Amino acid sequence: MAVIENNVGAYPVSPHANRGGLKAGQNRIGLLLLLPAATGFCAIILYPFLSALGLSLFEYTVEMMEPRFIGLENFAKIAADPDVWAAFWTTAIYVVLSTTGTLIAGLGWALIMNQPFAGRGVLRSLSLLPWVLPATVSAFIWGWIFNSRYGVLNAFLMELGLIDYPQAWLSTPEGAMLAVVLTKVWLSIPLFMSFFLAGLQNLDKEQIDAARVDGAGNWAVLRDHILPHLRPVLMIVVVLGVIGNLQQFDTIYALTGGGPVRATTVLSVEVYRRAFEQWDIGFASAVGVLWVAALLPPAFLYLRMLVKGN
Amino acid sequence: MNTFTRLIGTAAIALTLGSGAAKAADLSFMSFTYAEEANKAIVQGVLDNFQKAEKLTVEPLGFAWGDMQKNIFLRARSKTLPDIAQLSERWLPTFASLDNLVDLNTVYGKDKLEAAFAPDALAMGNINGKQLALPLLSGSIGMVANKEVLTKAGINDAPKSVDDFRKALVAVRDKVPNSVPYSMATKNNGSILIDFMVWNWVHGGRIIDDAGKVVVDSKQSRDALTFMVGLMKDRLAAPEIDRPDSRRLLAQGASAFYLDAPQTRTFLRDFSGKGQAFDANVLPMPTPVLKASDKPVSVQWGHLLVQFASGGKAKADDPADKFLTYIISDKVQTDLPLKMSALPVTKSARAAVADDAYLKNWSAATGDARRNEVGIWSNAADLTNIIGEEVQGALLGQKSADDAIKSMQARLTTSMEKAKKSE
Repeated sequence: MAVIENNVGAYPVSPHANRGGLKAGQNRIGLLLLLPAATGFCAIILYPFLSALGLSLFEYTVEMMEPRFIGLENFAKIAADPDVWAAFWTTAIYVVLSTTGTLIAGLGWALIMNQPFAGRGVLRSLSLLPWVLPATVSAFIWGWIFNSRYGVLNAFLMELGLIDYPQAWLSTPEGAMLAVVLTKVWLSIPLFMSFFLAGLQNLDKEQIDAARVDGAGNWAVLRDHILPHLRPVLMIVVVLGVIGNLQQFDTIYALTGGGPVRATTVLSVEVYRRAFEQWDIGFASAVGVLWVAALLPPAFLYLRMLVKGN
Repeated sequence: MNTFTRLIGTAAIALTLGSGAAKAADLSFMSFTYAEEANKAIVQGVLDNFQKAEKLTVEPLGFAWGDMQKNIFLRARSKTLPDIAQLSERWLPTFASLDNLVDLNTVYGKDKLEAAFAPDALAMGNINGKQLALPLLSGSIGMVANKEVLTKAGINDAPKSVDDFRKALVAVRDKVPNSVPYSMATKNNGSILIDFMVWNWVHGGRIIDDAGKVVVDSKQSRDALTFMVGLMKDRLAAPEIDRPDSRRLLAQGASAFYLDAPQTRTFLRDFSGKGQAFDANVLPMPTPVLKASDKPVSVQWGHLLVQFASGGKAKADDPADKFLTYIISDKVQTDLPLKMSALPVTKSARAAVADDAYLKNWSAATGDARRNEVGIWSNAADLTNIIGEEVQGALLGQKSADDAIKSMQARLTTSMEKAKKSE
């Protein structure tokens, strides 16, 4: 060992070499590569968030050219505002329905796409279509489907004789919620399906064949073999789904604008309405801060899973 | 040359090019009319003619009507306001506190403006003695009917009373399949406000009195909302209708009545695909009244132009002010408002177009327009949302008319605590 060290010491050292050596050089390159993403993150996410955090402590309406510090008054107003609490409740309903719906539909579709049949490749590619379309375009497509006067849904139901005259699906709280959930589920199926399909392709086919030889039916195979195998994927997909649905704004705003009345006003729409319809930036920022707080637990779970390599 | 020097050089060139591009036009003009397909060419024509006349270029910034307030608000916060912006008359009180808004009395002189403009039009841009906007075009929001649809339904004369109006709606519903007899606004809060305000006035109610006291919790307002709810229940009006939907329905012969400004004619020409041939179907009519002795109601309406300049200071020979001067000249005022089917705002232009049959009929039908009783308050946006939500809740059957009125009274009262009035 001592001989080797002596030999190494005998080589001439470059005058440009520094004490850190190769490790420090790698760290520097790593930091350099991180710089564009970090700069983007700071400019687009961190600065606006810190700015909103600060503004949540101010009164700042359209009538004021400069904000006025009011401490936690905006949060006290939120505590007493039934509309904001209703938005929390609406968000919870939307997130649960959208995530559960996408989970079931995504898994079901992945199971079908995992079976060998003619044209599977084409169908798999077509399944990605909702993902490729911009979310707002999808929202408008679904808006036309549900439209009370020109909608395909009404035309179809009237053709079947199930309704006598067009129904205004988006004008009832339940119909509007169903529409925004369906739209989101349709948009998210490709992503969830891809995750599940990747998981299913790692499943040992011999294990399934053995179970079938032992007399296991489809439900038993799904419950006892496929779902346990997909457990890590399920965890990731649920957490990502919850985070994505908590952040959802564009499809809901394009489809219902948060209405009728406030039936689909989730937190993102509430922040938008307070800021750009009622011009109360301080209050909107405070709601936004609470919205971020709602996002933190699933985000923490996700990061924990990533760090643990689960 | 090392990498750092190259980077600095590139950045400097980019900055130079960027600032050159930003200064390509002599002034910027933010307009919602410019964003409307039916009217874009008309505005572009004015901009082109201004450029020829004054050798000054204008950068047009078109935003949809519904996005204008948001864009002005954001630009005010980021200090990137345009030189000139077009507003609906009801938005002015909301923006009156922006410190870059120019008092145009200081630019042109109060006397000169009073001499040039029709008093009703000039008043729309005046807030507490300051002329914060110049009118671009004016008129009123009243009732419009489609004559062809009325004929199909066997209706020969426009209904005068509320009872006759209801009977006419029933006839349209029964004789014109798949129609929305009255395309009442039921979707967008800003549009719902106008319909509720009109029917509330028809029934003798007010929302907020002149002193700022909320007075909507009254028998008259309940009757008005109950009347509107009744129309929905009997399928004489429909959900999911906003003003643009109403225009399209009327233009396509699928609706008999709706409320709009005189510029409806231009939209109907476009949406019907028939151009001026469709004019024969457009019937401006007095809003039906409860009793024969009542006066038909209509809402004052207009488009305004505001100027933004550093510190709110401007001179008549600034490019933006030359543009304003051009816009209010007889050359433009005897042309632009007519093309947009609206009334000019200057005395001389009004005299010049006094024989225009459509505008004459419109004025005769809508009578003396009342000032928007919500739009005059600094918290108009909040008031509009509250009224829209409560009315929509009742129309869609989520609450009774009585509950909606009570809730409206309570919420409006809270909102009015800090409100400022523009007079």
